[in-house]
Amino acid sequence: MRSETGFDPDLYQRFPTQEERPAEEEEELRRIWCAPHGWEYLTVVNNNYVGIFYLGTAFLFFLLAGVLALLMRVQLAAPLMEVLPQATYNQVFTMHGTVMMFLFAVPMVEAAGVLLLPQMLAARDLPFPRLSAYAFWAYAVGGLAFFASLFVGLAPDGGWFMYPPYTSKAYSPGINADFWLLGIGFIEISAIAGAIEIIVGVLRTRAPGMSLDKMPIFAWAMLVFAVMIIIAFPSVILATLLLEIERAFNWPFFDAARGGDPVLWQHLFWFFGHPEVYIIFLPAAGMMSMIVPTVAKAELVGYRLIVLAMIATGFISFGVWAHHMFTVGLPPMTTGFFSAASMAVSLPAGIQVFSWIATLAIGRPRFNAPGLFVLGSIVIFVTGGLTGVMVALVPFDWQAHDTYFIVAHLHYVLIGGMVFPLFAAMYYWIPMVSSRAMSERLAKWVFGLMFTGMNVAFMPMHLAGLMGMPRRVYTYLPGSGWDMLNLISTVGAFLFAFGVLLFLIDLARNFRMAPGGGNAGNVYGAGSLEWLPTELYSTRSIPVVKSREPLWDDPKISDNVEQGRYFLPRSATGLRETIVTSPLLAEPQYVQIMPGPSVWPLVAAIFTAFFFLALTVQAYMFGLASGVITVMAMLRWLSETDRPIAQDEVDIGAGIMVPTYMTGPRSHGWWAMVILMIVMAMISAMAMFGLAFLWSNQPTFWTPPALLGEGAPIALGYGLVVAAAVSSRWLHRIGNNWAVAPVLLAGLAAPLLTWLDIRMWSAVLAPDASGQGAAVFAILSLQGTVAAIGILFAAYLGWRALRGLITPTRNSTLDLACLFIGYCGAQGLVGTIFTRAVGA
Amino acid sequence: MKSWLILLGGFIVWTVHFFGLYLIAEFAPSATLVIALTILCIIADLWLLRWLRAMACSEAFAQWRRSVGMAGAVLSLLAVLWQGLPVMLA
Repeated sequence: MRSETGFDPDLYQRFPTQEERPAEEEEELRRIWCAPHGWEYLTVVNNNYVGIFYLGTAFLFFLLAGVLALLMRVQLAAPLMEVLPQATYNQVFTMHGTVMMFLFAVPMVEAAGVLLLPQMLAARDLPFPRLSAYAFWAYAVGGLAFFASLFVGLAPDGGWFMYPPYTSKAYSPGINADFWLLGIGFIEISAIAGAIEIIVGVLRTRAPGMSLDKMPIFAWAMLVFAVMIIIAFPSVILATLLLEIERAFNWPFFDAARGGDPVLWQHLFWFFGHPEVYIIFLPAAGMMSMIVPTVAKAELVGYRLIVLAMIATGFISFGVWAHHMFTVGLPPMTTGFFSAASMAVSLPAGIQVFSWIATLAIGRPRFNAPGLFVLGSIVIFVTGGLTGVMVALVPFDWQAHDTYFIVAHLHYVLIGGMVFPLFAAMYYWIPMVSSRAMSERLAKWVFGLMFTGMNVAFMPMHLAGLMGMPRRVYTYLPGSGWDMLNLISTVGAFLFAFGVLLFLIDLARNFRMAPGGGNAGNVYGAGSLEWLPTELYSTRSIPVVKSREPLWDDPKISDNVEQGRYFLPRSATGLRETIVTSPLLAEPQYVQIMPGPSVWPLVAAIFTAFFFLALTVQAYMFGLASGVITVMAMLRWLSETDRPIAQDEVDIGAGIMVPTYMTGPRSHGWWAMVILMIVMAMISAMAMFGLAFLWSNQPTFWTPPALLGEGAPIALGYGLVVAAAVSSRWLHRIGNNWAVAPVLLAGLAAPLLTWLDIRMWSAVLAPDASGQGAAVFAILSLQGTVAAIGILFAAYLGWRALRGLITPTRNSTLDLACLFIGYCGAQGLVGTIFTRAVGA
Repeated sequence: MKSWLILLGGFIVWTVHFFGLYLIAEFAPSATLVIALTILCIIADLWLLRWLRAMACSEAFAQWRRSVGMAGAVLSLLAVLWQGLPVMLA
């Protein structure tokens, strides 16, 4: 495979160019990518700032959740302690788990991606900077509001996986559970926005020549991570929606007495919840695979096996969700499959661990700060992995389920698999964004305290669990044999906390943000591109990548990059821009014009948070107003993008010309829309799974569905919506002036079809009558939501067409509207048939 | 698309097998169906391996792509056999 796009790879030989570049080019880059001042920090979209804001906020949540952990450990230090009342303890352990999983772990690694990926890939920024800013602000505002519920006694108290019927209205009548359901659903939307950004960024904005086999392993990890988010998170978004609807409108999805099934929640939750563990682990493993070769001063052993292991982990992690449900009474055949898959997932994890050990063994490892945390991570993660294989065995799991053994296991996996790699990463990459590196002397103390504290805290929990101590108890009786073990765990937790405190002191002493250059530099002597000299525009020029460690293999590359001897040594259009490359071989395809700072992502994020908060406290009018403002802010933000520019083609260096605009499947916008459609398709598929699951498990509650024949006109209508979307694209291609008309009509017709379908089903079923009714009307409601967004798309397209912004060569909005409305038709078609087919 | 199929082919077979097993166990439990699906997936993995082995690769990227694809197919073959075992041994 010599070329993917027709680009001649021999053109790379022209680099590095030999002629001197004019000095004013660099000045212009600085002007275009200028630093914010004062209030402009709120409107900033550059990854150098958004990434650090994101990391700082996620780390704040780590500290807050850590304080909650200490409170719990004080309460459990001795029997019958009265530090926390029972109800408060329930809120504290729920918030600890929820904040660590949803507000720290996933956002932290996503933030690391936002900060590091453009540098590693030598892109100017990720392809949708405003989406990154929106994802960050939505997460920060929503997360802080969610955490504040603890201070008014309204924090959720049903455990981080919120099992019904305990969390149903009957047993959790307050709004505590609603805070969780709406808060988490909202924060997941932010995670999905970040994942779209990362997938398109990794696949489309790599430096020329950086084919998949030369991609940094962290980028591979982030790619698999983001794809996993796209597949897994829709499941929890749907689950939280369904439970919230059950609580608010009495639709009995999970009420076994009315044809629902609480086990359905467990399936939906764990289809997200188990991959979540690997979603957290994989980026951390990617960081480890970047740090280990630098620490060992040797090339990573088994690069291709690690890539394979990451992809394998991504796939297998979706086949192990039911191992959290071995005790609920699954069919024996199902139990056998899930047990086998749960053991199998240790293979890819093992490949990575052996690769790190082998790299350390063949190199000359230096146990500096990152090196120590790498070593600690391997020891702790392997211990957690071994107990993981133990609980994959069904008979053992039956004994250990819901005991402190599981608490010990999951903390070994998550602290070894994520927290220690994260600390290694912070020590390793802080010199990239700070003018001073962290203290090596203090780092040894930090590591010693954290490593010792972690083991002292969690090792005794294995024993406590095996001796029968259940999870989530706020106290215990003396004489149960757990007293000393709990006291030791509490001492360990405080040792760990002292380690973190020392890290904070070191951070306060040495961290001096330097996003616009002047950082401490490559203090560990790494070989990957993020250590090229950078400013706010990233690297002065974008190098041709010929190996996985370009800085080791080409000692002159830093100088040549800084002197502008590679791609895009200047702003070709006078605007913010980056090179979009092909997904496999990273051949230059076009120059993407990137949006600059804007207040609209911030406004949209704040009002999105208000919308969800208003729903939680049942202030529906305020919620509606917030929703409208959110939509208006997003439309305003969009209206500033995709504007015509003077140049159709530009020279990106050495006389290589590329277009400044691309539409259709090769454009980055098309890719993002396709990923968004996958998210929606997953939500829809999960809803249909729910209907089929209830039919299979609650047949006595089943009512014969509406007739398939009666639904045929609606199905046909949806088919026509798809056809109209396709025909609009085709008409535009052949130059027809009325090309937008079919898709506009289709956008208006889709909600009408959904309304007709709802009327038809209302004659047969009521949503609050049975699980079947609830599930059918949930599918219809989802369809209604997609159709409503379709109307917005149609309206936006109509506005752009009227303004003359849709031209034969600049028609991305038309393409994307056709994609979305076509998808809307396809989902409606499938839903119309499926709801009538199940149980017919 | 061909490159992604090569890289992910083995894992796609594994996914079909796993979710097939789950659907069979959940909606129509039958050992015969499980064994039939397992055999089909083993054949698919073996075909994939044969196809990849015969593929001519001169460029570095194509060689890398093939080696990852083959390793994925081998892993998938092992996983399919491993997950079919509980029913085949019962």
